[in-house]
Amino acid sequence: MPEIVLQANALTKVYKSAERNLVVLDNVSFDVQQGTSIAIIGPSGSGKTTLLGLCAGLDVASSGHVSLMGFKLDKMNEDDRAYLRNQYIGFVFQNFQLLPTLTALENVMVPLELRGERNVASKAKDLLVRVGLAERFSHYPTQLSGGEQQRVAMARAFITSPRVLFADEPTGNLDDENAKQVTELLFEMNRQENTTLILVTHNLELAEKTQRILQMKGGKLVNERILAVL
Amino acid sequence: MIEYFIRIKRNAKPIFRDRWVWQMAWRDGKHNFGRLFLFVASLITGIAGVVAISSLNYSMQNELDRNAKELLGADLVVNSGRPFDTAFLKKIDTAQRQFAQDADMASMVMFMNTRQSRLVKLTALQGDFPFYGDVVTQPANAYALMKTGRYAMLDEALARQYNVSSEDSIKIGNIHFKMAGVVEKFPGGGALTATLAPAVYISLDALDSTGLVQFGSRVNYSLFVKTVSDEDTKVAMETIKPYRDELGYSADDVDERKEELGEGFGSVYRFFSLLAFVALILGCIGVASSVHIYAREKRDEVAVLRCIGSSGWQAFNIYFIQIFVLGIIGSALGAVLGIAIQQVVPIAFGKYLPVELQFGISWRAVAEGVLLGTIISILFSILPLVAVRFVPPLSVLRADFQPGRVFSKTRWAAVILIFLFPVLAAAYQTESFLTGGLFSIGLILALGGLALVAMGLLYIVRKYFPQNSSFVFRHALSNLFRPNNQTQILLVTIGLGAFIIATLNIIQSSLLNQVEFKGNANQSNTILFDIQSHQKDSVVKLIEKYDLPVNQVVPIITCRLSEVKGKPVDQFKRTDADSVRVPNWALTREYRVTYRDSLHLSEEIIKGELHSFKKGKRDSVFVTISEGMHETLRVGVGDSLVFDIQGVPVKAFISGIRKVEWPKDPPNFIFVFPKGVLDDAPQIWVAATRVENQQNAILFQQELVFNYANVSLIDLRLILSTVDELFDKVGLVVRFLALFSIITGLVVLAGAVLNSKFARMKENVLLRTIGARTGQITRITIIEYGYVGIFSAITGLGLSVGAGWLLTKFFFEVQFSVDMLELLIISVSVIALTVFIGWWNSREVISTPPLQVLRKES
Ligand SMILES: Nc1ncnc2c1ncn2[C@@H]1O[C@H](COP(=O)(O)OP(=O)(O)OP(=O)(O)O)[C@@H](O)[C@H]1O
Ligand SMILES: [Mg+2]
Repeated sequence: MPEIVLQANALTKVYKSAERNLVVLDNVSFDVQQGTSIAIIGPSGSGKTTLLGLCAGLDVASSGHVSLMGFKLDKMNEDDRAYLRNQYIGFVFQNFQLLPTLTALENVMVPLELRGERNVASKAKDLLVRVGLAERFSHYPTQLSGGEQQRVAMARAFITSPRVLFADEPTGNLDDENAKQVTELLFEMNRQENTTLILVTHNLELAEKTQRILQMKGGKLVNERILAVL
Repeated sequence: MIEYFIRIKRNAKPIFRDRWVWQMAWRDGKHNFGRLFLFVASLITGIAGVVAISSLNYSMQNELDRNAKELLGADLVVNSGRPFDTAFLKKIDTAQRQFAQDADMASMVMFMNTRQSRLVKLTALQGDFPFYGDVVTQPANAYALMKTGRYAMLDEALARQYNVSSEDSIKIGNIHFKMAGVVEKFPGGGALTATLAPAVYISLDALDSTGLVQFGSRVNYSLFVKTVSDEDTKVAMETIKPYRDELGYSADDVDERKEELGEGFGSVYRFFSLLAFVALILGCIGVASSVHIYAREKRDEVAVLRCIGSSGWQAFNIYFIQIFVLGIIGSALGAVLGIAIQQVVPIAFGKYLPVELQFGISWRAVAEGVLLGTIISILFSILPLVAVRFVPPLSVLRADFQPGRVFSKTRWAAVILIFLFPVLAAAYQTESFLTGGLFSIGLILALGGLALVAMGLLYIVRKYFPQNSSFVFRHALSNLFRPNNQTQILLVTIGLGAFIIATLNIIQSSLLNQVEFKGNANQSNTILFDIQSHQKDSVVKLIEKYDLPVNQVVPIITCRLSEVKGKPVDQFKRTDADSVRVPNWALTREYRVTYRDSLHLSEEIIKGELHSFKKGKRDSVFVTISEGMHETLRVGVGDSLVFDIQGVPVKAFISGIRKVEWPKDPPNFIFVFPKGVLDDAPQIWVAATRVENQQNAILFQQELVFNYANVSLIDLRLILSTVDELFDKVGLVVRFLALFSIITGLVVLAGAVLNSKFARMKENVLLRTIGARTGQITRITIIEYGYVGIFSAITGLGLSVGAGWLLTKFFFEVQFSVDMLELLIISVSVIALTVFIGWWNSREVISTPPLQVLRKES
């Protein structure tokens, strides 16, 4: 039986505002198995990003639990969660989120250096070559196109060989050609490194490439489709 | 499902073992020098001010220590108002001690080359003075030549002023003296006294022949002693002691003289210290605001770092390292700049300092400056930087995610230390906790006042926003309220700069106003004194001959006090407790009194009344005393005094207290007797007149000095212009140092403008896209900073009028006076500078093509 890397248990997120409480996530539960790919889809405002943030330990739930790699995220403090992210998790965002003052190569090296590893440049270079940016090592983010920036971000996400990769609309800011490249890379890594891929998207075409689709509406999980047998 | 219940074993590395944060600090820092430049600049200006001033002070102190004996020229000096008692001279003379004497008096001299004359300090010397240090003359043998007879030396400045050359001669009293040379340096005489009363030196033997020493002339005799050892100095001081009370001798040894000099300079130093302190505080504001801006800009990057897995402290450390290293560099640069300034100050103002300054570098000041700068950069950057620790990683997903307020021990510690800092710094600078505390309170009040006024102005502008004005005006005005604006901090810092300068200006003009005579046509500007009774009528005739008004002719009688409130003066000195002690000088000094039955125009009775004298009633003499002196002597209306008038005791009662405006129409007096009591006592006369025409004045002086050599003349205009010049120089130093606070304010301003640059760029691009021309955008920028400048100027100047009023009234105790024109000039300069800096920094915004901005924003 494959290992379960992520378990969401009755997750609820409530934003308290002056007039009323806004329930953004309502009792969401699901499991994700190691090495699988999964897409979370749903209309805008349905709570997808909120759910992703909770699962990755970027935020804490109002009630319910997340356990990631068996660690109960809600029982940990912020710095411990950061450490956990560094050890097991990778991120790809819609708006890339590269560090503007670092070169492409330095951006990719950062997660490993953070672990205290040395001589990580060659590994970072290999990855940049793999994402097709052999000529771009010393460019700064502002000197790269959107698609190139997203590929740097992916190299940064993959350099730690994460157990889980979270991607929020990774192709949202890209044209078709670039989107295709990025998508291919994502699934290639997913297969080769046995990385678990958790993808949030509007794009049904992209979602259908995964093994399983969770559909959200109004903060609830409304439907689940298994597309491929494990 | 497997559940791991393992606690994460994360080893938090201390900053020095965490290679990664250092690496990141460097990588990230490389691209941020521009932004951190502002931080460094605030630090440099603040520290430069502090180092310059304390280095100046330390080298001054060193110089005082090193040259203490040279300042006195001897181990000790005894002063007396009459020639030294022969018994005393015998007693103090031991085989090993060496002696020299001098007699000082104010006297007129006439320069024979131009026949102009002026009042000088005549110094008649005898013996091998100085025992320490050198007399520097031009030519070198002038001093030796002077001792041989009828030769005189002049202070260099005096010789220059009257064009006296070595062939010329001068007339002192009845005698012509040949010029021996000019004096460049003479021990004991401070440069300041030389400026106010330039000296002419002759030998003591020649003094008698001048005929200047007559009845009533004020001569100060000094006996310089070179002792064998410090022990011997003490012994000699003991020998002098009994003579202090008996004959009114006073004695100074090296330490006492040093102390006096230190005190004299101390108040100037304290004033400068406070200025430096202001520069420092402004530097702190600059540091805090630039780091605040920096930390805010770094929020997004921190969120990414946290996503990747750095801890809050690691993120904090990255930026802390940058600040810390640059803080040290900035402090060091500030110290270097400070030292450079210190080298310039003695060149520019050395003439007015009591000792000659060496261009030595005070390493203590440098070390203090670097330490202070480092402390400041840590202290004032921790508060804004701590926020970095609490940047939530969720901001990566949602750009405008606002975290809740987080309680942090570090933050509170920083806040407490920041409040303590100014108190400690000021206490260290002024060497007093009270002054430090008071000054800090003053500063907080000033800052609070500035902040309040700034808030009020913004509120008013908002409330009465000119909805119908043109687009450019409205847009510029509303820029002041946009999110992330720096308007408040700008108003406070620029306002503080304006405030300091304007306050100093007000104090200066109030002080100057005090010494200047206000245009009353009758007031005297020339005083003739030491007129002997038999010369009185002919001198008055001479004044009239030159068509000059005779404003006053008053008799002067010198006397001492022998009893106060029925108690002999010498008893006072020994028995009284400190709390009721009458100062010694007030009891033993020589009083110069006059007699008249009316009030002079500068006088007013504030208590009691004038009492004229009834013939034959020697036991009911009523005198009036000047306000202030009655407090010093602790006497009031009805109290009795016994005057010793040249050996004759005269008992008198105080009938009234006079308020005297001393500078108004001199001479004025502490004690005024009624007519009929002192009329026959030995007396000299003073006459006062007013000279308008310079040519006439010279001719008058010539004839006066020619015929009445013993009569001296004070040209008050001359003294006034010297005081004026002195104020100008001091004012220059003050402005020079105040400049530092302004520069720091400008640095803060530049930082604030830079901060809003990117936001403005986007906005300007949008404006341009919808059709705004560059000219319009420039105008918006200029008007916006114009508002800031105007508001700051109004705020700062408004507060300075209040502070100036308080300071003049309670601290300097002079009449409050404002020079409106100068304040106007200050305001216009502040506004112009603000606009200029704003415009200068915005040029990039204005000239950047829209495409580049869009790329940066993507
Ligand atoms: N800090 C907040 N305070 C209040 N409400 C919030 C906050 N953050 C998010 N929301 C609300 O939560 C709901 C879900 O937001 P979320 O970003 O998860 O939606 P989403 O499914 O990712 O939408 P999209 O597809 O547009 O990205 C939205 O209605 C949003 O307004
Ligand atoms: Mg979303």
